[in-house]
Amino acid sequence: MLVVGGGLAGTATAYWLAREGVDVVLVERSDLNREASGTNAGSFHFQIAIHQLTARETASSRARLLTDVGLHLSAARLWQTLEQELDGELGVHATGGLMVAETPEELQILHDKQSIEAEAGLETHVLEGDDLRSFAPYLADDLLGATFCPAEGHANPFLAAPLFARRAADRGAVVRTGVEVTGVEDGYVVRTSAGTIGAQRIVNAAGAWADDLAALSGIRLPTRREGLHVNVTEPRQKVLEPLVQHIGRRLTLKQAANGTFIIGGGWPARPEERPARYSTLWTSAAGNAAVAVRVMPALAGVRLVRTWTGVMAFTDDLQPVVGGVGSHPGYFVCLATTGFTLSPLVARMLALHIARGEPLPPEYAPDRKGSPWTVTT
Amino acid sequence: MDVAAGETYDLLVVGGGPAGLAATAEAAARGLAVGLVDERPTFGGQIFKQFADGFRVVRPDALGREYRRGRALIEAAEASGAHLLPSTGAVAIRGGEVVLVPDGGAARTVSARCVLIAPGAHDRPVVFPGWTLPGVVTAGAAQSLVKTQRVLPGERIVFAGSGPLALAFPAQLRHYGANVVLALEAGPRPGPRDVARIAAAARGNTPLLRDAALYRLELLRARVPMRYRRIVVRAEGDRRVERVVHAAVDADWRPIAGTEEHVEADALCVGYGFVPSVELLRLAGCDFAYDEDLGGPVVAVDEWRRTSVPGILAAGDGAGVTGSYDAVDEGRLAALGAALDLGALGRSAADELARPVRKRLRRKEAFRAALRPLHAVGAGLYELADHDTVVCRCEEVTKRTLDEAIAASSDPNVAKGFTRAGMGLCQGKSCQRQVAALVAQRHGLPIAAVPPMTPRAPVRPVPLGAVADDSVEDLGLFVA
Repeated sequence: MLVVGGGLAGTATAYWLAREGVDVVLVERSDLNREASGTNAGSFHFQIAIHQLTARETASSRARLLTDVGLHLSAARLWQTLEQELDGELGVHATGGLMVAETPEELQILHDKQSIEAEAGLETHVLEGDDLRSFAPYLADDLLGATFCPAEGHANPFLAAPLFARRAADRGAVVRTGVEVTGVEDGYVVRTSAGTIGAQRIVNAAGAWADDLAALSGIRLPTRREGLHVNVTEPRQKVLEPLVQHIGRRLTLKQAANGTFIIGGGWPARPEERPARYSTLWTSAAGNAAVAVRVMPALAGVRLVRTWTGVMAFTDDLQPVVGGVGSHPGYFVCLATTGFTLSPLVARMLALHIARGEPLPPEYAPDRKGSPWTVTT
Repeated sequence: MDVAAGETYDLLVVGGGPAGLAATAEAAARGLAVGLVDERPTFGGQIFKQFADGFRVVRPDALGREYRRGRALIEAAEASGAHLLPSTGAVAIRGGEVVLVPDGGAARTVSARCVLIAPGAHDRPVVFPGWTLPGVVTAGAAQSLVKTQRVLPGERIVFAGSGPLALAFPAQLRHYGANVVLALEAGPRPGPRDVARIAAAARGNTPLLRDAALYRLELLRARVPMRYRRIVVRAEGDRRVERVVHAAVDADWRPIAGTEEHVEADALCVGYGFVPSVELLRLAGCDFAYDEDLGGPVVAVDEWRRTSVPGILAAGDGAGVTGSYDAVDEGRLAALGAALDLGALGRSAADELARPVRKRLRRKEAFRAALRPLHAVGAGLYELADHDTVVCRCEEVTKRTLDEAIAASSDPNVAKGFTRAGMGLCQGKSCQRQVAALVAQRHGLPIAAVPPMTPRAPVRPVPLGAVADDSVEDLGLFVA
């Protein structure tokens, strides 16, 4: 079994496969955890958020949102067991998460999504007025409301993929960095920068570059690459426990254990040609900071120290891409946009599918029907 | 980026030290619309640092030649008609668009057809056990204290350093009334052959020679003990430095066993040269070469000080540490280059104006080449830390922790991810060189081959309130 990609999806897949006794080799062209897996803020996303909405309402996507929440809940339960499973530190903290609303329309969305979350079994509460002000005094006191989700929290993105890789190796997996795949022929005969590797089966866990890798086999994946801009501040006294998001504007705001504030939310970065890292955009910093300061006014005096970028894969229908490619027996894909939260779970689902034949949701299939994309070979 | 209404320049000069000041006056004289930006409230850079508010100069003549040189450059820039922007930091750049942040004000983007980046240099950070004890300061910090505030760093001062500074700095401190008990120079005592070589190269460089001679004289007069081929290896003390431990070194500056001595002190000034402050140049995407004797990273420039990025020029110590005389000339050259590129000067007129400038620069190069053997930085300077020494002082990362991470990869950005070294407030300015040295040692690479940490905006911390701009359109999320 050859796993291509040394981020969280790839290392987790390698681990779960090795645990099932499968012979695994993982190749990564750069260093482990160097891209999206290692450049995100480590937040867990459980409640419905802006990037899951296709409109400023929930009714038209209710069915999809219900399954989404169900999937995220399963991911939450798995994260709670991972430190024990992997016998190591992951920095898992359930700090709760707040999703704020500024306008009456946004407040309505909070109420609407709360019923979906409740139906799916995820505990959330909509707080308004004095309740919100006393619960979260650091927020601007004229916000109309916020959803609080107690189960949300974060782990440490610098630790997760490397720990999965170490434990995979402990169970017999071979993990090789600095090895780039340059060609894939049926069989599978995989040409790399460090020689040829033969593998019965392949898992494409190449994240934002999964489509490039798939193209080497004539497979077209329904993903696109986007660069995201993230901001971090100087350390300050710890005042913010929960993750803070906004249902109508792009914002994720958290304060790390070392007191720094990490601010993101989906603001764009500028693509650059490899090996250059994507560039940050001052307009993204400016717009992102405006939302953050609006929601938490005390941030105005906190100094921005650095910006950086992460590159992620987005799918058109907002669903993970997990499973086998019908036209290519033995070729699997493991990819989720909300990658930090979902990768350990979908990787395990894929591993159990490969090793034990356990079924996968058909809506995650890389060549699912009724979708705008097709597999070309 | 939305450019602040109407704020465009022919030439934006970032950095108001000797290079930037000279460039401003020259470019304005050529008819260019010039803006001069400096993060400090007064111009002059490090070498011509002006007094802080509250001081008034009564007798300028008593302050010496250097003070007058600085005043002349500053006054020329002030009279030039350029738009002067003190107390303003340039924190991000992309091509000809620069983000400026005035102290206490909001960030704004200005545009310029040419940008001269003349950011100067900062003290070379040197990591040794005890380097973070209170009382251990860089030569530059001590210089700022005395120059701007007339405050001495301590009552028993030890100076440890190398290079031209090793001659000048202890003498300057003495001049301000400091009790310098010992000056340690890492390089060898200049022998008769060195003196002859320097004298031969000194034609046209008499100001430099005169400076050097005067400073040495000052030291002799004050009877400051000066010892050669010795470096600091440890600072010891309880709540602040109380003792400085030093040792004899070989040609590579590696301590020789059995030569340690100690001296009581309450302040240790460390002056092992300077490193160009290259953050803005790296962020702009300029190509770099590596020359340890010029401070390390040296931006590549052509004969008109143009970098590899069109429209971006570089001058002064920020483009390779060669001192204030060169900085002035490089600033003039860059201004002439910008005038040439913008059509304000024809080629032959530009060449004519540049001729005497280039001649002076060539002569200084010869002088510097003669001095080089005396002032090269030895590899041993980066081998002083022990396992418990804090290397990244912002995040308190020890050498032991770094060694583990560096074993995993020869990319310092990976070590940074594991350990947080370089992620703190100074963004690697204090630790990056030492981390690079550890990577080089562990992986058998020349220091020049170790990739730098990815440059990122802002190059200085900026309050979020100053960054925030409500008028930036929030698209909601990725709109196809």
